[in-house]
Amino acid sequence: MTDNQETQPDVSQFCPKGDVLVIGEQILGDLQPVTLELLGAGRILADKMGQPLKCLIMGHNLGDIPQRLIEYGADEVFVADSPELHVYRTLPYRRVVCDFLDSLSAPPHTCLLGSTTTGRDLAPRIAAHFETGLTADCTELDIGPYEHKSKVDPTKIGLYPNCLYAIRPSFGESLKARILGPWKNPQMATTRPGVMVPNKQDPNRQGKITPIPVNLKQEDFRLIVADTVREISKGVKLTEADVIVAGGFGLGGPEGFDLLRELAAQFENSAVAASRKVVDLGWIPYQHQVGQTGKTVRPKLYIAAGISGAIQHRVGMSKSGIIIAINKDPDSPIFKFAHHGIVGDCNQVISEMIKQLKAVKSGKGVEAVVGSH
Amino acid sequence: MSSGLNIFVLVKQVPDQGSKAGINPDGTIDRAKAKRMLNPFDRFALQAALHAKKNYGGKVSAISMGPPPAVEILLECLEHGVDDAYLLSDRRLAASDTLATAFALFKTVAHVGKPDLVFCGLQTTDGDTAQVGPQLAERMGLPQITYCEDFSIEGNKVHGRRIIEGGYQKVVSEMPLLITVANSYHPLEYKSFRGAWRVQRLARNEEELKKYIHTVDLDLVGADPERTGLKGSPTIVAATEKVGEIGGNCRMHEGQSIDHLVKDVVKETNLAQFMTV
Repeated sequence: MTDNQETQPDVSQFCPKGDVLVIGEQILGDLQPVTLELLGAGRILADKMGQPLKCLIMGHNLGDIPQRLIEYGADEVFVADSPELHVYRTLPYRRVVCDFLDSLSAPPHTCLLGSTTTGRDLAPRIAAHFETGLTADCTELDIGPYEHKSKVDPTKIGLYPNCLYAIRPSFGESLKARILGPWKNPQMATTRPGVMVPNKQDPNRQGKITPIPVNLKQEDFRLIVADTVREISKGVKLTEADVIVAGGFGLGGPEGFDLLRELAAQFENSAVAASRKVVDLGWIPYQHQVGQTGKTVRPKLYIAAGISGAIQHRVGMSKSGIIIAINKDPDSPIFKFAHHGIVGDCNQVISEMIKQLKAVKSGKGVEAVVGSH
Repeated sequence: MSSGLNIFVLVKQVPDQGSKAGINPDGTIDRAKAKRMLNPFDRFALQAALHAKKNYGGKVSAISMGPPPAVEILLECLEHGVDDAYLLSDRRLAASDTLATAFALFKTVAHVGKPDLVFCGLQTTDGDTAQVGPQLAERMGLPQITYCEDFSIEGNKVHGRRIIEGGYQKVVSEMPLLITVANSYHPLEYKSFRGAWRVQRLARNEEELKKYIHTVDLDLVGADPERTGLKGSPTIVAATEKVGEIGGNCRMHEGQSIDHLVKDVVKETNLAQFMTV
């Protein structure tokens, strides 16, 4: 045994401590909340290692954004400013990030992005370029030790003291998987908007703002963005709604969403959402999907109709204020974490709920529509 | 382009989450026993590839990586109208993460030919990462349109519309190009009787089938096995833990008539507080 330990290879070269880097995100000058959340999570990781938290932001005429990033926890903000970076495009942004990482004397220990349409477009390109590990859609991040025992590659056997723990729910199972890649820095991960908690803004917080060069190449312009349209007026954004009415397979068909829309219309600042299964079936577009592969939401009220409540859905909505679940199967997992459960046909229950709410609104009160038995 | 577009569509066979087959009591999945299906997201990619062929001319090749049963989804692709298919199947690919998978697929794509367009599903239902498409584009040195929900082609340019948070982008890209297709794209059309009939006949004749579905391995596509499988994967699943039951104090309303159940909940949660005035 002692022999074995003496011959154990030194793995300390694999993942030395280092900076934590957040790659920030803005859309047309609008700093995305996920960036502040990543600064919150990144700050904890950096402090655990006693290392600085840095942030890279790309765009054009970014105004007070770099300063705000400092106030939310960054020690140093690198700013890539160019008219060519005004709107997000894969190849120019990829070029800036790769050049920046190449220019550093040592790669960051950890590199974090949001799992947004931008982060999920950019992060895999960076990871593939540097041939480093990337874990998508994490719900928890941590730094900790890991003992690698697998004999597939004997040079990797050993104790790694500071690994990024990238934790995410695993497929179809009530399990969380801890995914590690300590053999190469940066260890990369994306987190879903709404999951991590930002720090309070501190206007007195000091930090350094460092401009970085932007050297794009001809081949980076093979794709151009003709237009970027934000449909703010088109209803309430799911992540900002106070009330969400969500539907699943138990609705029985796409027409079930008409009923949910009618129910949602009874509430102030409300939106309609869906489980993945019905999005996959094409009952409602992807933008409405809540859960591991959709959006993470925390409204004051979440009504789940015909949703079984698999872990993938739960991680996207379990922090909601009041959860009312409607399902005809009393053993449905959603009743394990909802606050109120109604066992019954969800179309009938929703119809009744609409009827009663309309009665409340018209001043008749619920008693008028529900006779006493 | 006189000879038409060379179109590739990447597809994956995944366990059917809707089926209880192969789900162990502890919540893990026995993939050998689980029901298998074409990754639902890939149906949109397949439709996009078939659209491109129908509207602009060319040939569609389906490419997959997986164990031998994955041939089932390639047959399905043939039934829908793809021209030929390639399955990369090799034991050494086991435990590949997204980086190792993208590398193996990159070598397979290069073996099959030079595509003008590569279509992928947005993500798979078993991995949920949405990483393999962009990682493949990086390996191939291609521009990409992810979350693409519509596209048209003019000359050598693809005009695409991609989803962004709270809106969309209109983009124009040169080919060759990789596109990951969002599920707000057109759903997959039903297979034609003719297509299904032709493939069913084909499936009975192994020699004939081999002309349409080519099974390849790492050696044939020239992929270094050290860069695939567990060895080629920079990430590993170090531990899994059961997610503890949360809450557990759900107030259940059942057994009464629906109007009373609803009335109780409306009252107890004071739903009126959330209503429009």
